[in-house]
Amino acid sequence: MTETVVYLQPAFILQQRKYRETSLIIDALTRDFGRISLLAKGVRKTKSKTAGMLQPFIPLTISYFGKAELKTLTDVEMIQPFSQIKGLALYCGFYINELVACFLHKYDPHPEVFGHYRECLSGLADGAGMEAALRLFELNLIECSGYGLQLEYDDKQHPIASAKKYDFNVGLGPVEAGRGQFSGRTFQALSTRELIDPQVLSEAKLLMRTVIDVYLQGRQLKSRAVINNIMKHTGGERGLQTYRQSQHISNGVGGVITPSNMKNE
Amino acid sequence: MHRKGLLGQLIQNLCCLPGVGPKTAQRMAFHLLQRDRNGAKMLAQTLLRAIEEMGHCRQCRTLTEDDLCDICADNSRDDSIICIVESPADVWIVDQATVFKGRYFVLHGRLSPLDGIGPDELGLDQLEQQLATGRIKELILATNSTVEGEATAYFISELARKHRVPSSRIAHGVPMGGELEFTDSGTLSHAFNGRVEM
Repeated sequence: MTETVVYLQPAFILQQRKYRETSLIIDALTRDFGRISLLAKGVRKTKSKTAGMLQPFIPLTISYFGKAELKTLTDVEMIQPFSQIKGLALYCGFYINELVACFLHKYDPHPEVFGHYRECLSGLADGAGMEAALRLFELNLIECSGYGLQLEYDDKQHPIASAKKYDFNVGLGPVEAGRGQFSGRTFQALSTRELIDPQVLSEAKLLMRTVIDVYLQGRQLKSRAVINNIMKHTGGERGLQTYRQSQHISNGVGGVITPSNMKNE
Repeated sequence: MHRKGLLGQLIQNLCCLPGVGPKTAQRMAFHLLQRDRNGAKMLAQTLLRAIEEMGHCRQCRTLTEDDLCDICADNSRDDSIICIVESPADVWIVDQATVFKGRYFVLHGRLSPLDGIGPDELGLDQLEQQLATGRIKELILATNSTVEGEATAYFISELARKHRVPSSRIAHGVPMGGELEFTDSGTLSHAFNGRVEM
């Protein structure tokens, strides 16, 4: 590999691990170079100026260089202003970070995913549109990574009718079924990216979850398991009620699957 | 460089300490063997005893050789305020630096969904049992000022709310004696978001 030097590249940190005494190994999503690994030397010292910035969910511009797979971080700056995400939205943030790590290969540039990621974070910071922001990001991420879903036509090439019921087959797309799990309205809303109705949102959640699980090929999302556990501890539905009442959201990341909403086939 | 024999092994084993590389380990080994054999003997004995006897406090999960740690066993301390910290080292630091006279609870980590570390790994069911007794009047959340520390604090505050216990988060911002010119932008923006009324 030749020596690369990159200056002021827009990026978000997805995950960081401690390395040696004072350094970090960072997994970052950059705009023009995709997902990369960086070594940030000496940033955990007491007098470090960058430790506060090297956190997930903060829009940064980073400079780095290196020949090998692991690049060395030289400079980092924060892009102001940005909306901080807090509370429950933080867990959703961890979830989308894990999704990005699962769906994008390293060093595979996806500038459009970077844009969707940024939009999703501002949706999460907003609070009210958290659920919709997550669904849109999932949908866009799947599409950008080459697994786009058929949402306009059913398996027999008929346009989706809003009143009809469908099942979803990841290979074929919507399949008309009298007692299907998803209404045509959900597919239409997903294809126009207008997710507002609560019924549509909850069906979209189940749909996206099924699709993601198929593409993960049995790999478990750690963040989802931890978040389910968190929900259980805070009393699940009851514990976060106060928050939900003010924000009109439900557990955006999938929550505990109850037998009633689990896919049976 | 791998030397054979007892000396080589000693040097290599000393390298397991934080901040100690081969060179420092070599200095330590020679110093102990040449100048301070008595001290080395004491060190070895204490180390062995500590490893065998030290466990976790039944109540706050910090490191101790007894069933209850010194802080939990101290009757003059306030039972109704609990400070949540990430590691046993934090207990020492907070206790030395502040006038806090309540008790502690050590998580031994932080919630980290990406590493699969959830509430069960942090002994939070134990904290919940303590909250359920109704004896606790306030929780102080002194987890680190990282995204994961923040997520942990949020989760524990939700637990506390469930049991109707008020919780507060330690402030973060401009350090004492710090000049704004030399404060990094992340800290400064945090300080502005968390400004206090005068």
